[in-house]
Amino acid sequence: MRARFPLLGLASAAGLLALTGCVPNAGTSGASHASLTVDSSATACAVSAAEAPAGSVRFTVTNSGDQVTEFYLLAEDGLRIVGEAENIGPGLSRNLVVQLAAGHYFTACKPGMTGDGIGKADFTVTESDAAPNL
Amino acid sequence: MLANYLIGLREGLEAALIVTILVAYVVKIDRRDVLRRIWLGVGLAVVLALVIGAALTFGTYGLSFAARETIGGVLSIAATGLVTWMVFWMLRTARDLSGHLRGSIDRSLLGAGVGLVVVAFVAVGREGIETALFIWAAVQATGETTMPLIGAALGILSAVGLGWLVYSGMLRINLAKFFTWTGGILIVVAAGVLSYGVHDLQEAGVLPGLNSLAFNVSAAIPPDSWFGTLLKGTLNFSPVTTWLELVVWTGYTAICLSLFIRASRNGGRVRSAPRPVEPATEPVAEPVR
Repeated sequence: MRARFPLLGLASAAGLLALTGCVPNAGTSGASHASLTVDSSATACAVSAAEAPAGSVRFTVTNSGDQVTEFYLLAEDGLRIVGEAENIGPGLSRNLVVQLAAGHYFTACKPGMTGDGIGKADFTVTESDAAPNL
Repeated sequence: MLANYLIGLREGLEAALIVTILVAYVVKIDRRDVLRRIWLGVGLAVVLALVIGAALTFGTYGLSFAARETIGGVLSIAATGLVTWMVFWMLRTARDLSGHLRGSIDRSLLGAGVGLVVVAFVAVGREGIETALFIWAAVQATGETTMPLIGAALGILSAVGLGWLVYSGMLRINLAKFFTWTGGILIVVAAGVLSYGVHDLQEAGVLPGLNSLAFNVSAAIPPDSWFGTLLKGTLNFSPVTTWLELVVWTGYTAICLSLFIRASRNGGRVRSAPRPVEPATEPVAEPVR
């Protein structure tokens, strides 16, 4: 019987996450989030806009290089990870969805998955009505 | 294609290794009848991961970063616990086996009924959702190129193939050697999973110390090289390791390996007190431990 409890725990954890961890996908009607694209190549990390309104922000990261890449959204100190998209193989697009409060952030890509990353750029989140209390 | 192949290989290796050891063990003690439970766990995890991955990719809702990291961290810690349980469960049934206590083995296997399903389920499911999201991303790209999908699929197939090779090798070695080796391997694998979970929680900001590194050998062992992939896929070795990860890894390995060595010297007597003798009854449907 004891073995049932981890199962129960996992099931309820999954249930909780289903309630709290889900965010609307792109193209959903009435979705109030900003959608940005990122092109991660061998030499650049081009984000389609350098700012977005506070709330749910989606980065669709496309890897146009030939190494596996990662995309990072870093906090104002440039160290703390606010969001990260991993395992973006060449030719793939992966999504990173984060709830952002107004403030200063950095975006960066990490082709080859090592080093400090390339194309580190400022990213600003502006106040908005849809801003969550973070 | 090679890069996507290596991702598929890396994601599949650890699960293949754990399931291989589990299957080899059950076959070695001549209890093929419980294999069904292992495959049930594996099958459930694969189907569930693919369905959840597809729903999150093509459905109305995706998964936020925080939720993804939390799932990763929690499942890693659960997997560590379950693999540790599996090592000592194998030791216990081995003792029963050497003592020819047939009924006792049956009881252990009966008690482990749900346990075996859960171990197989979590071993595959831990990286399952991430792998499924990766696979569906490759499927989404097929409008432009099918190379990522072919690469990823071949990578996962290679992991299964390597598991099969290890399995055939394991069947040839004797039971005593099998226990020593698989026990040791599983403890090191579990330690890697635990430190991976710690890293996830450090990235999520739940645990501190993401940027205080114990070592960084990514110049010598690039994570996208084939040997970096194998090390990451089997032992969860990260070329960039934080102090907290290193301390947790070392602590877990030291404690569990010494317990394991002591227990195997005692002939697998993990529990000091003998379990009460149960009346010989027909196996019941409800597993009792």
